[in-house]
Amino acid sequence: MSLDIDRHAHVESSIQRWDPRFKIASLLLLILCLALVKSIPLILIGLFLSIGLLLISRIPLGFIYQGLKVVVIFLLPFFIILPLTYPGETESYFIGMPYAIEGLRLATLIVIKAIAIVLTAYVMFGSRRFDVSMTALQHLKCPPLVVQMLLFTYRFIFLFLAEMRRMDTAMKARGFIKKPDLYTLKVLGGFVGTLLIRSFERTERIYKAMLSKGYQGELHTLIEFKSEAKDFIKAGVVVLLAIVIFSVDMTTVFSHAEQAWF
Amino acid sequence: MHIADGIVSGPVIATGFGITALLAAATMRKVELEEIPKVSVVTAVFFVANFIHIPLVVASIHLILNGLAGVILGKRAFMAIMLGVVLQAFFGFGGVSVIGVNSVMLGGGALLAYGVWQCRHFVSMPNKEIVFGSLAGAMGIFFSGCILALALVTTGEAFMTAAQMVLGYHVILMVIEGAVTGACVGFLLKTKPDLLSGQSSNKAG
Repeated sequence: MSLDIDRHAHVESSIQRWDPRFKIASLLLLILCLALVKSIPLILIGLFLSIGLLLISRIPLGFIYQGLKVVVIFLLPFFIILPLTYPGETESYFIGMPYAIEGLRLATLIVIKAIAIVLTAYVMFGSRRFDVSMTALQHLKCPPLVVQMLLFTYRFIFLFLAEMRRMDTAMKARGFIKKPDLYTLKVLGGFVGTLLIRSFERTERIYKAMLSKGYQGELHTLIEFKSEAKDFIKAGVVVLLAIVIFSVDMTTVFSHAEQAWF
Repeated sequence: MHIADGIVSGPVIATGFGITALLAAATMRKVELEEIPKVSVVTAVFFVANFIHIPLVVASIHLILNGLAGVILGKRAFMAIMLGVVLQAFFGFGGVSVIGVNSVMLGGGALLAYGVWQCRHFVSMPNKEIVFGSLAGAMGIFFSGCILALALVTTGEAFMTAAQMVLGYHVILMVIEGAVTGACVGFLLKTKPDLLSGQSSNKAG
């Protein structure tokens, strides 16, 4: 579980030096364009692009593997469901079952797309400290309220996760074993309730401490952003690539080429 | 269970973002300063609860608890869940392009759960909080399942069977979430009733 997305934010790279405002804005556009791609050759180009960005960012690949694993395991069933259930007649068979190539194509497209987008997300938020990225979001006209809540939540998640692990250990020490029955569900209900109460009481104290230090609904930060010509150029390249991918996809050149494959 | 990137079509993505913006604006009107940490707490607990796994016959599933968020935060629950979805996407679990769809799916369920929860005022029966808590938990997930199926079906007919399987899966989830939410509401009622939305502590101390 790699919840501290910014664990490798200290790694020096040209992505890390990139002004986060430009980085987040341009990579978001790239992600949206990738999400809309409809042909496999083009999304492969997108995948190589995201791998390229990742290599430039020099975030350790082992770190990314953990998050990627979750996504891929979640998507694997599509390889079975989609080919077997694709509407229409099919001539191809796999172990005696009708197996639609078109469904397989769709599943492949989905999985590659998801991987490319997750990798880009790692580049986007893994290359700077989380609070710096959030401040950049605020500069990008994201409502301050949302940014503050994200920062609070980010702080709380690690606290509560530790709390939850402690409670889990306590339950196991008393001999509780999770089973698929109503009793387990009832105990888990109490577990969540206890977690909620402890969390609320804890954050009430944090909130009072913040109020006494003069919190009035605004977060002040010393983080300042300076943009140079380099930042513009990097963003320009990414935006250009995103637009090229989007417009090539619109012309459906690759989709036609793909038809010839099957 | 959230939807991953790359599945739903462009129009569905756009609709998701549109509805999310509308709901976020509508539910966050006149937000008070002290509510900011409160919403964040529920977001964090909601996020952490995703790591609680329950063994089922062959596989294990994890809790979602969007109904419980609705019961605790009322209409502010939408924001809490939206932020949970955003953080999940930022943390590399996927879903940056479908933040809108996921927010509508889970956050909408939370709003519906809040509506169900409020209905308890219209009936009088013993343990009505627990009953309506369970109902809220179950309805919250049911709504999410429906939206997910709808998003799949509108993307293309190739996903028809997948959507049916999703609905079937959510029926199982409904039972589990309903039981956990009901138990949790019962527990909170005994220990700290003012945490529940619209529930003042009726017993002194």
